[in-house]
Amino acid sequence: MSLLEIENLRVTFETETGPVQAVRGVSFGLGRERLGIVGESGSGKTITGRSVLRLIRPPGRIEADRMVFDGIDLTTASEKQMRALRGPRLAMVMQDPKYSLNPVMRVGAQLMEGLLRRDRLGRAEARKKAIAALEAVQIRDPERVMEAWPHELSGGMGQRVMIAMMLIPEPDLLIADEPTSALDVTVQAEVMAILDNLVRERGMGLIFISHDLRLVAQFCDRVLVMYHGRIVEELAAGDLMNARHPYTQGLLNCLPKIGGSREPLPGLDRTGDWANV
Amino acid sequence: MSDFIEIDNLSVTFAAKGRQVQAVKNVSLSVGAKESFGLVGESGSGKSTILRAICGLAPISGGEIRIAGEKLTEKRAKNFVTRVQMVFQDPYASLHPRHTIDRTLSEPLAIHGIGNSDARVVRALEDVGLPSSFRFRYPHQLSGGQRQRVAIARALMLEPEILLLDEPTSALDASVQAEVLNLLNRLRDEHGLTFLMVSHDLAVIDHMCDRILVMQHGGAVEELARADLASANMKTDYARSLFAASANRMLETPPKETA
Amino acid sequence: MTQSLFQWLSDPSPSSRAQARLGQAWLAWLRLKRNHLAMLGLAIIVLLCAMAAFAPLFATHDPFVQNLAQRLLPPGTPGHWLGTDDFGRDIWSRIVYGARITLYIVALVAVTAPVIGLLIGTVAGYFGGIVDTVLMRITDIFLAFPRLILALALVAVLGPGIVNAVLAIALTAWPPYARVARAETLTVRNSDYIAAVRLQGAGAGRIIWGHVMPMCLPSVIIRVTLDMAGVILIAAGLGFLGLGVQPPLPEWGLMISSGRKFLFEQWWVATMPGLAIFAVSLGFNLLGDGLRDVLDPRSASR
Repeated sequence: MSLLEIENLRVTFETETGPVQAVRGVSFGLGRERLGIVGESGSGKTITGRSVLRLIRPPGRIEADRMVFDGIDLTTASEKQMRALRGPRLAMVMQDPKYSLNPVMRVGAQLMEGLLRRDRLGRAEARKKAIAALEAVQIRDPERVMEAWPHELSGGMGQRVMIAMMLIPEPDLLIADEPTSALDVTVQAEVMAILDNLVRERGMGLIFISHDLRLVAQFCDRVLVMYHGRIVEELAAGDLMNARHPYTQGLLNCLPKIGGSREPLPGLDRTGDWANV
Repeated sequence: MSDFIEIDNLSVTFAAKGRQVQAVKNVSLSVGAKESFGLVGESGSGKSTILRAICGLAPISGGEIRIAGEKLTEKRAKNFVTRVQMVFQDPYASLHPRHTIDRTLSEPLAIHGIGNSDARVVRALEDVGLPSSFRFRYPHQLSGGQRQRVAIARALMLEPEILLLDEPTSALDASVQAEVLNLLNRLRDEHGLTFLMVSHDLAVIDHMCDRILVMQHGGAVEELARADLASANMKTDYARSLFAASANRMLETPPKETA
Repeated sequence: MTQSLFQWLSDPSPSSRAQARLGQAWLAWLRLKRNHLAMLGLAIIVLLCAMAAFAPLFATHDPFVQNLAQRLLPPGTPGHWLGTDDFGRDIWSRIVYGARITLYIVALVAVTAPVIGLLIGTVAGYFGGIVDTVLMRITDIFLAFPRLILALALVAVLGPGIVNAVLAIALTAWPPYARVARAETLTVRNSDYIAAVRLQGAGAGRIIWGHVMPMCLPSVIIRVTLDMAGVILIAAGLGFLGLGVQPPLPEWGLMISSGRKFLFEQWWVATMPGLAIFAVSLGFNLLGDGLRDVLDPRSASR
């Protein structure tokens, strides 16, 4: 069963110099699986992720032939319906926890806010649920973290709190936009493992947006490679090394490798026909 | 002694709101002339602070730093700036947003009263592979990679011998990173530069540096030669865990690439 | 011809310093032009400048000539469309000539107070420590006094007159600019581009002048245009209290003051200059709001 289906998604921004298409006809379907979207900055991967939640502000404009989430047409849903979807059913984790947590609210209060207001739980029960969520993202002393201010958390800790917060309402689809780029490599691995586990256990769908091809290949089932607002290649993650498209190959080859040669790194050749689509 | 940069027992302590934070604890290292030395570690390991201490942006609270045998004093000697320059991590923050590229590049010449600035600016742009039509643009009209090229050109305006590189490519896309790393390597050959480079990416460090110092919590953990890294020949657990986390950056041999 | 000029201005890769700078100014102008209210403000100020420059052409009468036979004529009287005051002087002509005085005061304050404030603010912010403490406490002392009272005290000491009024206003107007400049400097001071220029051996003077001030300038300029309305009002207030411009000069505040006596019977004597002050203050405020959108680096990313 398909959780999310998108056909011919286009996002246009009106600028002084005329309309600019950031996403130019993207189609994909998603089941309860882990889908990676990879591309360089400006490829439209973040905007694609945000369009699913309809989080594009004017002068941006979202158009799609079909955008259906679990039977709900997202193109025609009212803003009120969208608000009801965001959070309980569709969740998003952003790149930098520093900007996603409210700096003047304790972590615990932020975690419990949704439970108290939306689910009308009692304080004690909300607190229990919040602590359980923190434990689920492997925070060792959740009691202390509940009382902490966001600035007292390290980057990895903050990102775990964000993930915990997003997972409390048990969404069906989680969109993670570069959730680990601001983190150190060892922390990155831990956070990815947590996400991976949660997706497996709860049977969520995951859209994992990243610029890091190798990371995506490691953690996802399927990978979409985006360039200039289009999907240029779709691959099973295991086949990444056999990528056909010159852009995907170029992305892979231009990375330095431990123990690799000291020859100049091959640059990405953008002169092929594919670059001018 | 042929060592060009010598750091002996360096400590850096910041006083923040009555608390003392020791960012670097008794770190020693030495870099030979025209060598390329890498500092690796996670955020908060003090690797960038060492670079900032060398160029006077962080206080030296213990130990000493010698460049070509001369001890650095509290007030840097006059020739220091023509000897050591730095390239910063974020090319969006390291160029003055209201100065044209021309102004940014000619400023060091103006400070030191070096004439012939027009020709020098044009040559510097050429050197880093930017067309001269970029000369009067503003930073916001440039892409990240182009800005970092400008930042490199600026660091080279005074013809220094040492370039301190603070994560010069971590804010850039992979393909742009490759271009900038190639540029840095070419410039090192052409100008006979000594690099002291900070990065969290072991693959980048491996590609650029001959020797590597692994750091954690402000202290030195282990020094590795490049061969040790590729063969995973580490002595300490921390260095090994860092290496393991970067395992997907190892040299793979995809069928297409075996050439 | 104009087409090629526009192309030259919007060329993405300018070939000279002047072209780059003009190109940026051109872009800023295009952005300002989209804001209709700001354009209205600009029109009011341009009109004020034109009135001041060509006062003899706009005025219908000599602003100083008294005609007691025609005193306190209501607006709409043939020959005196805004009426006359208690000495029979034409109010329209006096407002036109008064624009010169208003502009003179505004211009003098605009070139003194922000410069003092900018200097003190950037120096305090850049050096920090004891310099910051001393300079900012002085600023606090000036800020603690109500502006009009301080200006009154200064004029009382220096004696009334237009130059002393300007001096008093400038001396009371600089602290907010110093605060704005210091706040801006604190955010700029630790940025990488300042570190980079320090690494190149630049001295404090060069850094403050060439690198910190350009970043503070937009917020100060915006503040200046927004404050101009206040400056006009204080000048008018001083005139009203008889401590600024002296009669018979046609200063707007002074004119209101003299009309106060017949506010209920001959309302136009005080109302007409009041409307002039209102219009000009509005003009500066609208322009300031528009400039904020154009110059503020934080909003420029759009």
